[in-house]
Amino acid sequence: MRRRDILALAGGGLVALVGAGAAVGALVPVIPRRPLPDLADAVGWIAHRDGRFTLTLPRAEMGQNIATALKQVAVAELGVPWEAVEVELHDTALPRVRATVGSESVMQFAEPLAQACAALRDALAAGRQQGLVEVNPRPFRELRAFQPGGASGTSPEIVHGREIVTGEPLYSADVRLPGMLFGRVLRAPAPVETASRPRRWDIDAALRIPGFVAVVEACGPAIGRARGLGILAERPGVLAAIAEALAVEWDIDKTSRVRDISQVIDIDARLAKGALPHTVLDGTPEPGAWDVDIRLDIPLAAHAPIEPRAAVASWDAGALKVWAGTQDAFYVRDVLADAFKLSTEQVTVQSCRIGGAFGGKTICTVEAEAAALSKAGAVPVKVQWTRAQEFALGFHRPPSSHRVQARVVDGKVTDWGHGQVSSHILFTAAVAPAWMQRGTDLLLGDGGVARGMKAPYELGRAQARYDAERLSVHTGPWRGLGAGPNGLAIESAIDEAALAAGIDPLAFRLAHVSDVRLAGVLRRVAEIAEWGRPPAPSAGLPLRNRTGRGLACGVYKETSYAAVVADVAVTPEGQVKVTKLWCAHDCGLVINPDQVRAQCEGNLVWSIGMVLSDNLPVEAGRVVAETFADAPIPRMSDTPPIVVDLVVGKTTLSGAGETAIVAGPGAIANAIRAATGQRPVRFPIDPAGFALAP
Amino acid sequence: MFLILNGAPQSIPEDWADETLLSLLREAYGLSGAKFGCGVGICGACTVIVDGVATRSCVVRAGDAQGLTVRTIEGLGSAEALHPVQQAWLAAAVPQCGYCQAGQIMLAVALLEQTPRPSATDVETALDGNLCRCGTYERIRAAIQQAVELS
Ligand code: FES
Ligand code: FES
Repeated sequence: MRRRDILALAGGGLVALVGAGAAVGALVPVIPRRPLPDLADAVGWIAHRDGRFTLTLPRAEMGQNIATALKQVAVAELGVPWEAVEVELHDTALPRVRATVGSESVMQFAEPLAQACAALRDALAAGRQQGLVEVNPRPFRELRAFQPGGASGTSPEIVHGREIVTGEPLYSADVRLPGMLFGRVLRAPAPVETASRPRRWDIDAALRIPGFVAVVEACGPAIGRARGLGILAERPGVLAAIAEALAVEWDIDKTSRVRDISQVIDIDARLAKGALPHTVLDGTPEPGAWDVDIRLDIPLAAHAPIEPRAAVASWDAGALKVWAGTQDAFYVRDVLADAFKLSTEQVTVQSCRIGGAFGGKTICTVEAEAAALSKAGAVPVKVQWTRAQEFALGFHRPPSSHRVQARVVDGKVTDWGHGQVSSHILFTAAVAPAWMQRGTDLLLGDGGVARGMKAPYELGRAQARYDAERLSVHTGPWRGLGAGPNGLAIESAIDEAALAAGIDPLAFRLAHVSDVRLAGVLRRVAEIAEWGRPPAPSAGLPLRNRTGRGLACGVYKETSYAAVVADVAVTPEGQVKVTKLWCAHDCGLVINPDQVRAQCEGNLVWSIGMVLSDNLPVEAGRVVAETFADAPIPRMSDTPPIVVDLVVGKTTLSGAGETAIVAGPGAIANAIRAATGQRPVRFPIDPAGFALAP
Repeated sequence: MFLILNGAPQSIPEDWADETLLSLLREAYGLSGAKFGCGVGICGACTVIVDGVATRSCVVRAGDAQGLTVRTIEGLGSAEALHPVQQAWLAAAVPQCGYCQAGQIMLAVALLEQTPRPSATDVETALDGNLCRCGTYERIRAAIQQAVELS
């Protein structure tokens, strides 16, 4: 396609994207709005009534334990005991806050919250008890929460901890309402991007099932282009029996073209067609032979939270209330208002604790299903996706294919090239229709794919470019967005460059790093792991195992830093076991060190998954995984002892939820390289490729 | 039909007999501690203790619990008087999202009842089948050791 053609195609869409013009209004999907927190809003986050304070958490709680960290800020700034502040999860009556994404809750919300608490404290001290407090921001250094002895550096018992260990209801699927029914929306076994709808079903067979209530055709918006058929039952277990009895026949658009992912996400095939359109690093490497020239392929991967998404919906006099485990209650509210032709005031979405999200629970799906079924049945309805629905209907980490090249002269990289083809992340097909993506592709690229593609090194004439291709499966934000895969690619190539130069990987990295905080975590991890020592012999593992140690580092969103050392043991059959991990982490001023550590640990377990197991199988354009057996995640036996060391700053606040994943996978891959002499290039690695010759 | 639920007899409603034990607990009795994660016995989020044995309640027919003793996390201890495993879980700050943790805790309780001083291998063998996507495995190991000391 010539460039002019793309412009013509995108013309109508672009207007809509920037202006949401009336003419195409009906076609424009509801787009998440992401305002930065504002001091005026922060007042609603903290309130005082009858001697008690209520912190209405302006974030989604999904295991980052942000409720604990922000309560620490509030308690310290207010100067009150821990017990005096009650934390409540927000509903959409709160002024809109942006989605809980991007590891920015402490970075963006801690200071406005402290400002609000300081103002409230002063107002109370001045004898005020009623009304709204005006917040006049004071200098950061005057906020008590961030002074020594304030909120930072302590790790109190986590908020909701007691409820979790005693089994109290916290999650959306735990909500029970009087008269509630159980619902499910069945969809065709077809790619979500292929138009499909129910054609025929055996209602008589369903009617014979005890507990069957209804089939609902008006079961909410399509997911992608897959229209569903809703069912309602008195008990959850009846749903599967009804689905089977109905034996729904589907109309599936035969004309839609399903492109094979491995052909589309092939960097060499893509480069053969011409230059990549989006630029992250704009240097021009000199032509000539490369010292390092590797291709890495990283597949589609699921978020696989243990909680399949769930929602409970209830209608009352035309107003809709939904309990949801979502990273963006306001976006869910907006989509529901749009779908059911309500004003935003008529819809309330109550945030519940989320049983793991990792970027995947940012769209409106199960909530609309529950709302539609509840409307049809005129009773409250609970819908929880099956594991198979989570895989089939959610969006996933896009597959990516990378070619990374380096030229090394006198121990220094002089030229660098990184090309990537992947699929959309920020402009996920789960929200943006194809015409809109053509517009964003042309104007903006996709910052999610680009994230972390700027190598954190001085690399001479460095170029990094990418392209994003729409696929038959939905892709979108996944822990770290592009930064995990990009980090793995970059850190693999840097390690090869160090080998080519004949220089120790730590010294080689330090020689190319100008950022003192990145150098700081590198030095720190080298210290705690005793870099330079051979890896520990693998206790309890067969003697013929090969062992290796690897190092990697990275920066997340230019604000937080991590360096990781991994030890691995590789059996003669090529099975890899990670035997120990060390991580040095710098996210500036730390409120809750224990929970920052917990985030590092989580990221490192995800790093093990990225290298050894993450892979979501696709056939004929649709995800075919149905259980964890088809798409395994790391287990306890895959997880080694982990040592985390925090480099703590004094002022800057940043994030920890996605940082260590920029370095963990690279460290493990580099350790496998050190153990076996072979560079892992296809992920997850296939043990056969690392087996000893018989 | 009845079962002994956390020490007290509970009748199993006729029309719930073909449901899973997990659904019976969560939706008929309102005990929401055990969670639905996969429904096919792979993740362990639904683990409860049936006649002393850690059991995946998503693959047990409710009617088959007739006459059996079922213990759920709600029966373990109260917020004021926690079971040592619950205490250890809080002290080690194990939960991230928390969704898998009721299953992990019940599995740990069953393990410690059978093997009061488990070796590292015992722990790994017993708990390897319970998945945690947040990656809290290291803390689970630590908490079990703490619970051994607390008991
Ligand atoms: S829900 Fe029972 S094992 Fe997963
Ligand atoms: S704590 Fe989230 S799945 Fe285990």
